[in-house]
Parts: sequence; C-alpha cells; structure tokens
Amino acid sequence: MLGIRRGFGPGPAALDDVDLTINAGEVHALLGENGAGKTTAMRILAGLDRPDAGTVAVGGAPVTEFAPRALRERGVAMVQQHFTLVPTLTAGENLAMARPRGRLRPPARQVRRRVDELAARHGLAPVPTDIPVGRLSVGEQQRLEILRALDADASLLILDEPTAVLVDAEAEALLTVCRGLAAEGRAVVIITHRLGEVFAGCDRVTVLRRGAVVCAGEPVADHDRTSLATRMVGSAPAAARSRVVTASPDGAVRLRLRGAALRRLQPLDLEVRAGEVLGVAGVDGNGQGELEELLAGVTGAEQGTVWVDDAPVPVGAPRERIARRIAYVPADRYRRALAGPLSLADNLELGRGLTRRPPKPRREAHAAPALTEWDVRATGPGATAASLSGGNAQKLVLARELAAERALVVAAQPTRGLDPEAARMITERLLDAAAGGAAVVWFGVELDELFAIADRLIVLAGGRASAPFTPPYDRAAIGMAMVGGHRR
Amino acid sequence: MTLTDPRPPKAPSGPDGVLARLLDHPERRSRTALVAVPALALLGALVVGGVLMGIEGVAPLSAYGEVVRGVFGRSRGLSDTAVVATPLILLALGITVAYRARVFTIGAEGQYLAGALAGTAFATAAGLRALPAAVLLPCALVVAVLTGAAWSGLTGWLQSRFGASVVITSLLLNYVAAAALAWAVRVGIRDPGAFTPQSRPVAALPDLPGTAIHLGFLFALAAVPVLAAVLRRTRFGFRVEVLGASPEVLAVNESRPAATRFTVLAVAGAFAGLAGFVEVAGVTERMTPAFATGYGFTAIIVALLGRLRPVGVLVAALVLAGLTVGFDEAERVFVIPSATVGVIQALIIVFFVAGDALSRRKAG
Amino acid sequence: MDTLFTLATLAAAIRLAIPVAVAALGEVLTERSGVLNLGLEGTMLFGALAGYTGARVGGPWLGLGAGLGAGAACGAVLALLMVVVRADQIVTGLAFTLFAVSATTYLFELSYTIGEPPPRIESLSMVPLVAIVLAVLVGVWFLLTRTVAGLVLTAAGDAPGAADALGYRVAQVRSAATVVGCALGGLAGAMLVCGPLGLFVQNVTAGRGWVALALVVFARWRPGRAVAGALLFGLCDAAQLRLQGTATAIPYEVFLALPYLVTLVALMVRARRSDTPAALAVPFVRGRSR
Repeated sequence: MLGIRRGFGPGPAALDDVDLTINAGEVHALLGENGAGKTTAMRILAGLDRPDAGTVAVGGAPVTEFAPRALRERGVAMVQQHFTLVPTLTAGENLAMARPRGRLRPPARQVRRRVDELAARHGLAPVPTDIPVGRLSVGEQQRLEILRALDADASLLILDEPTAVLVDAEAEALLTVCRGLAAEGRAVVIITHRLGEVFAGCDRVTVLRRGAVVCAGEPVADHDRTSLATRMVGSAPAAARSRVVTASPDGAVRLRLRGAALRRLQPLDLEVRAGEVLGVAGVDGNGQGELEELLAGVTGAEQGTVWVDDAPVPVGAPRERIARRIAYVPADRYRRALAGPLSLADNLELGRGLTRRPPKPRREAHAAPALTEWDVRATGPGATAASLSGGNAQKLVLARELAAERALVVAAQPTRGLDPEAARMITERLLDAAAGGAAVVWFGVELDELFAIADRLIVLAGGRASAPFTPPYDRAAIGMAMVGGHRR
Repeated sequence: MTLTDPRPPKAPSGPDGVLARLLDHPERRSRTALVAVPALALLGALVVGGVLMGIEGVAPLSAYGEVVRGVFGRSRGLSDTAVVATPLILLALGITVAYRARVFTIGAEGQYLAGALAGTAFATAAGLRALPAAVLLPCALVVAVLTGAAWSGLTGWLQSRFGASVVITSLLLNYVAAAALAWAVRVGIRDPGAFTPQSRPVAALPDLPGTAIHLGFLFALAAVPVLAAVLRRTRFGFRVEVLGASPEVLAVNESRPAATRFTVLAVAGAFAGLAGFVEVAGVTERMTPAFATGYGFTAIIVALLGRLRPVGVLVAALVLAGLTVGFDEAERVFVIPSATVGVIQALIIVFFVAGDALSRRKAG
Repeated sequence: MDTLFTLATLAAAIRLAIPVAVAALGEVLTERSGVLNLGLEGTMLFGALAGYTGARVGGPWLGLGAGLGAGAACGAVLALLMVVVRADQIVTGLAFTLFAVSATTYLFELSYTIGEPPPRIESLSMVPLVAIVLAVLVGVWFLLTRTVAGLVLTAAGDAPGAADALGYRVAQVRSAATVVGCALGGLAGAMLVCGPLGLFVQNVTAGRGWVALALVVFARWRPGRAVAGALLFGLCDAAQLRLQGTATAIPYEVFLALPYLVTLVALMVRARRSDTPAALAVPFVRGRSR
C-alpha cells in the first residue's frame, strides 16, 4: 500500500500518506492506539473501503476494484471484530454457504471431514460442526472464521484484534497457528494494541499514530517494549499545563466507587473530589464503556457500589439522575444523547420538561438563549438535531447537561470528531463546570488532551485501573500501562 | 466502529417489524409532500375508478357527480358521512398514538370488538338493563374503553414479558375476540326473544339536536383536538415522540421505554373500545354476528393517510366515509358494481404506499 | 365416540387444512428470507379468482396453474414494493390484502350477470390435492434443508449482513422468496376453489391467509410443523363446524379461538423467540453495518 489517504468528514484524516508493505511468509503486527487508523487501513486492503488517494497492490498486481469479493479472489481475507457468520446456521452450513460446491448441501459427515482436515492441516483445534454457530464460544467462532478464510485459500490473512476476545491459552494457540500459516508461505497481519502479542508471535511491526506511519515494518527483534510503546503514544513531553488546579486536597469527595464491577470492568475503587478532573485513558474496549454506564446510572453495577454525594447513583431513572445533578455526555452522542428527528428545543427538554408543555413557539423562544449562549449554529430552535454538525451537536448536549450547577459530570470522549474550535469551547466549558465545584470524569481520546486538563489520570487496561498518575505526566509510563494489561 | 465523527444512526433495527422508513418523523418532510402524496393517491384512485366505470359503460363524470350529490346534495348526505366516519376517526386516533411511538399494533379490530362486546354485555346485563339510559350509557362506555385498553394491554404485556412480537400477538387476539363475539351473540348475551343470534338492544345514543348524527360523532370530533393537544402539549406526548425517534435516547435521558410502550397500546385499545360501543349504541343498536366489518383495518389506512396527525386523520376518515356514502347513493342511480367503492378505496391505499415510498427514496 | 363422527371430522379437517397448509408453506419461505408478507390473504384471493376463472375455461388443473401464476404475479408486485422500493412491509401487505378483497369481488361480479347463480366448476377430489400438499411440503423442506439456496435464504433472513459480505444479493434472494411464497399462496387459493368447494364467492378465503400467517409463527418457521399445525387448525375448524349443530357443554366458539390461543401460549412458553428470523420485516440496506 502506497501513499494511502482516507478521510471521513471534517477534521484530521484517518490515514495520511500511509505506506505499508507486507511480505509473504511473515507475521506482521500493526500497532497503534484507538483512532490511529489501523482498522481503516486494513479495511481498505480487504476491499471493504476505498482510499481517497494512493495505490494498493496485491501480489504485484494493482487493485482496481475495492469490493470484498474482488479482494477475496485475490487471496485477501479479513477476520473482523464483528464476525460475519450466520449465528443460526451450523459451522458446516456457514462454510457451505461461503464456498458452495454444487447446488446441494454436502452431507454432514462430509462437512465434518472437510473442517477437520482443514483444521488439522493448519494446526487449529477442530470446531464442532453440527451446532448453531451462535452457540459456539467466541474463540471457536473466530477459529471458524479463520478456517473459512483458509478454505478459500487466502494468501493474505488479516486478523483485527483477534486476542481481544480470547483467554491467554487460546491467544497463545492462535499465535502459534499464525506462525504456522506464515511458514506455509502466507502473510498474516495482526492488528493489535497489545505489546505482548507483538513480541510473542510477530516478525515485523508497523506502528501507526494519528493516521501516519511512525515505524515502518521494522523487525520486532530491533525493539523492546519501551521503544514500541513510545512510538505508539508519541514522545513529545507533556505540554505545559494550562489550567489551575482547583481541587483542594480536603475538598469534599463527590464520587466514590467501591469495588464496582460490570462486565469487562473489574472491581474498581475510585474517589473524585469536588472541582477535580479525573482523566481516564486507555484503548477502547478495556472497560471504559462500562465505567461510563455505571457513572451515568445507565446500568447497575454487578458488584460493589457507585455513590455520588453519599447516595447511590440512580439506575435506569434518568430524571432522578438529573435531579441528583449528574450530567452525562455520552460517547455515542447520536445514539444516546440526541434524538435526531426531534428539534433542538425538544432535545433540550429531555429529562427536564414539565408535565404540561408550553406551546411550541414559547418552547422555542425558551430554548433560544441557551442556543446563543452555547453558540449552537443552526437554522433556528426548530431545526432537527440530525441537521447539526458534530461540533454543534455536542454543544447542544452540553447546553442541556451543564445548564445548571452539577455534582458530577461524566464526559465520555467529549471532543471526539470535533473541529479544534468546537473542541476548545467544549473543553473550556467542562473545566468551568469543575471550577464550579463539580467532579468531572473525562474519558479521553488522546493523551495530549488529557494531559492538559486532568488533575489526575488513570489508565484502564484489561478492565483494571492503574494507580493514578499525577502531573507532570510520564508519557512513557502511561503508554506502557495502556499496552500492558491482563487478559481474562 | 467509527473513528471520527459518529454519524447519526440511519435505519433503526429490531425484529419486531420496525418499519424503518415509512413512519419517519413527519416534521422532517416538507409540508407539500405531506399532503401531496395522499391527495395524489386519491386522485389517481379516482381516475382509475373512473376508467373502470367507463369500461362498465357508466359515464364516470356523471357517476362521480352522483357521488358528490349523494354526500352534499342530499339532506342526509353529510350526516350519513359523519356517522360512517365516527368509528374510523376514533380507531385511527388510537392507532396514531401507537404508530407515532413506532408500536405497530394491528389489533384495533379485536379491541373494537372487545370493547363493543363488553359495553353491550354491561348495558344489557340483567340487573342493569333497567337503569335509565343517561346513567347506563356512560357507564357502559367506560366499560368499553377499559376493556379495549385491557385487550390491547395484553399485547403489551406479552411483548414486555416474553418478547413476543406486537404485530403477531395483536393479530392473533383479533381472532380470539371474534370468537368471543360469536359465542356472546349466540349464547352469552343473547336476546331470548330473537330468532337469530343477536344481543338485546342497547339504549340508543341520542342524536345531536337537529341532525341525524348520533352523539358519538361529537366524541370523535372532540377527541381530535384533545389528542392533538395531548401529543403536542403534554410530557406523555413528548415521550411518545422520543420513543418513536429513539428508544435508547428515551431510556438514557427521559424515562423507561417499556412504560410508554405499554401506555400507547392501552390508549390505542381505549379508543378502539370506545369506537366499538359507540357504534353499537349509535348505529347497530345491538350486536350481531355481522358486527365485525373490518373497521379496525381500514382505520390503519386512515391513520396513515392522515400522516399520523389528528387533523389529518379526521380529514382522511371523512373523505373515505364520504366516498362510501356517495357511492351507496350513486349505485341506486347507475349500475355500478357494489365493489367499486371498495376498489377505489383500496387503490388509494396502494397508490399512497407506493407514492410515499418513492417520495421517500427521492428524499434520500 | 361415534366412529363415523370421527372419520368424517378427520376428512373435514384435512379438507379444511389443505389450502392453509400450502399457503403457510409459502409464507415459511418468504419469512425465512426476512420478508413479512401480510398480503398473503390477498394473494390467496387472487389465486382463488384465477383458479375459478381458469377452471371455467379449461378445467380444474388449468385453474390450479392459473392460481400459481396469479400468485407469482402478486409476489412480483409485493416484492417490488417491499424489497426493491423498501416500502414498509406491514403497511404494504395490509394495503394489498384490503385491495385484493375489493378487487376480486369487483372482478368476479364482472364475470357473471346478476340474477343468475355463478356457474359451478368441475372440482377435484381430495386425493390429488393432498398429493399436491405433500409434494409442496417435500419441495419446501428439501429446498430449505438440503440445498445451498436454502442456506442463503435462511442467511438472508437471519443475518443479511453476513450474506451480503459473502457476495449474495439479499434483495434478489428476498424477492425470489416472496415470488415463490406468493405463488404457493395463489396455488392455495386455487386449491380452495377448485377443490371440493367448487365455486367462488366474495371473500371466499375468509381469513385463511391470516390463519396461515399465524401458523407460520406457531410452526416456528419449519415446514413440517406448518403442515401439522394446519391439520390442527383444520381439526379445530371441523370440530367447531360439527359442534354448531349439536348441543354440548363446550361452546364451539372455543374451537374457533383455540388455534390462536394455542399459538399465543406457544409464543409465551418458548424462550425469547429465538427462532424468529432475526431480520424479519427489517429492510436491508447495503453498505450499512449489520
């Protein structure tokens, strides 16, 4: 892949002038943080997306058609994080569908033999072929996806975060399989953010950071954990902090978690004081979503307690949450925070309206000052929320959530996808809330941002939180914490 | 996985027949499209109807002239139209509330029957029959409303407790209600003095003074602005809108979706039950096996043609009722097959559905 | 129990079950591919009318063929609306059925003069009809369980995203399933008319299409169970017809409602509708995530 560029809407490009070379017979690691561009690059290679600029060549021949079937015929197969298996069909049926031999389905015995043969040939444990795929374990489903790719005789196999769903033993087995496949002359690309895997099973590594290549296909043996971690998160010293710490050491504790656990989040103890901004760093999928839900009262903790101002956070009761002055700025703003077809005024009313609503003109007039104050640019209070740009949509969410003094502000990736100006304004306002006495928990997108605003920083990896970091922030240590991490 | 700006989700998913496109929030489309599509569908259907009549040897324009005369020219034209429209309006209003929340029940017919049956049973019960109509009828109406709401609530319960599809369960309950009706007129509330299975007569709803229109029409007319106000000016109406737009946003920011879902089903059932008993007390006088005429299904069409807005529903119901009444008259003068009006009404729906889908596709 | 009573009831049950069974088998195909066809009742009506007309022209077998063809035509229209144009399936199906009730009555009234009774047609005995039902059952079963096409069809209904990722055109699969399902629906209508009934009246199907829809859910989208369910419905139907004349403790209306009540209970007892095709009634749009 040469000179690949790919952008999605305004803001920085997902991939900028990326060169990537993958050779046959090697296991190649593609390393990077969230949003670094790893998945985007591989989707292009697998034909699931097309580049805005640049060229891709497979086996020497340039790729002209970016479609999954076309690339599959060239021998490229990708096993994604969301499997493309039909859960109600058995493994055998899924395989038969992918590579049909004739119009009729082969009898079950033949299918089982085919699967067993394939598995044996490549050193994979066999997969049960007569139960619906939906009932297989995740590890088995993944094996099936790989078998399906091998059945199609893929010469370039891409695995997207394959060990994210596996336990240690399975992960090791997978790496062994990859090495075996490489020994057969195929090329295997593993997208990952886990250094352990890179050193355990890979020959060369490419590191992407913010859409650019910072380490191009160098042999793994040339690096150690520190150097790769540094490449991943950057080595610039933390910028001088621009905010005054407003939390006093004896300020009241506003948020308290004791042994709170939910799904991937392991039991967590946490305390955040009034006026303090706690940054939460870490690669997606390590428990951030769960913590977000716990703090906002979307889901209840499976163990432990989550308390705000000495009372438990109300679960599943949004109006109570608002009455307790907990503000929630979700990561997925269009799915959780704003109802697209409804007007701006209506969206501001969510959770805060009266039983009897004033007529529409009065509601819209009521909403107008908030829109001006927060600089939400739209055609008027009657415009639909879906018509707003990302920045304005986020301002609208804040206009609603930060309208009054808050005890706790849960901000999940609040500046994601925003242009710098909007991001700056959002950041300012959130810091103002902290200055006003709220405890702010900020789930961060980028370390630089977190370094600039957080009084303390924790890193979530493998569902566990690191000990809190305090300024001046040690980027390398934080980077290491992000890529370490236990597996289940 | 999105890497940068999370885009607003497009077609919502969900196995319970969630209809991704047709019932997008009405505000979103231009006002002209809102009225244009149903109007064009009506026009198209009339044209095709005219052609069909022409083939039969009937001059279409004269026939339509007779239709118009049947409604506007006769002394009873308008009142007949109002009477025919009444159950349609009530049923369709209930459906409107449910569909705005994207709860797609097709059980209006069953709820209509259940309400009518319960009201009639109450009004003809041994101890109560002798009560004066002024007391009996309102009580029977309440019984009908509650029964309809409960019948619809069953669907809601099955959905929240067992995850059963609202579409399927509401359809099945229609049949159970029909069976209950069959038994009731034969045995349960049968009039012992009648030769054929039917219930005792129920006290009649008084007519509006000076007209041949029964009180039920007033209920229907009054319900239109009331429902419009409820949808626009109450928190419940707000929750209905939000539920229809995004159940998750509702759950995270306002209230539990299950409660709203249940309530809209109950409201839809309440309206249907009311429509049922109003029809008995106002028109048929008693319940017979032929009581089920499919209003519950026609009302779904009325609700859609009316763009899920109370005023639109009123207009659509009046238009369809007018066509029915007008054609009834026209059939006395011309030799028009009695099925013609049905075909025209059905064509309106078909053209509307196709036209709406196409206009939606153009809008992207 | 009177033996004659039982045998006659059984025969009646089979007779009543035949059209419903065939229609349900067709709907199984359609719904397995992800399309909820509420226009089934309408399709049966058109098939019945076509069957009657065909039988008047060239005998009952021609009638059956005409029913099949009419059904396929309805399927094409419905597929166009529901799959290609992506109009919403519930409304389209309902509208189509309402349209069919009026249209078939209208067309039928055109075909004879008022005052004379419409001519009866030569009707088929039960044996060939039962043979057809069995043939269709075997065919549908074979398609679903033994062919790759059946796999693709199931995938289109359960995980259209996966099918699309493998290169199958979901829209085409669904359209084909709708056409075939409706063709069977049309055949069912024709079988109703060309069978022992022998004539056409307004709304002759009298809700059998809706029954077939309920049957599909009851049968958990499996062809064998659909036929068994049709027989159960037929038994209840025959029982209630038989009981109408006699005075018994159980009102016959209980049997009217029984099949639907049983289906409702079946929906409750099984855990979480896991057999429902996951993408049923959800229009599939390429390029969006699953």
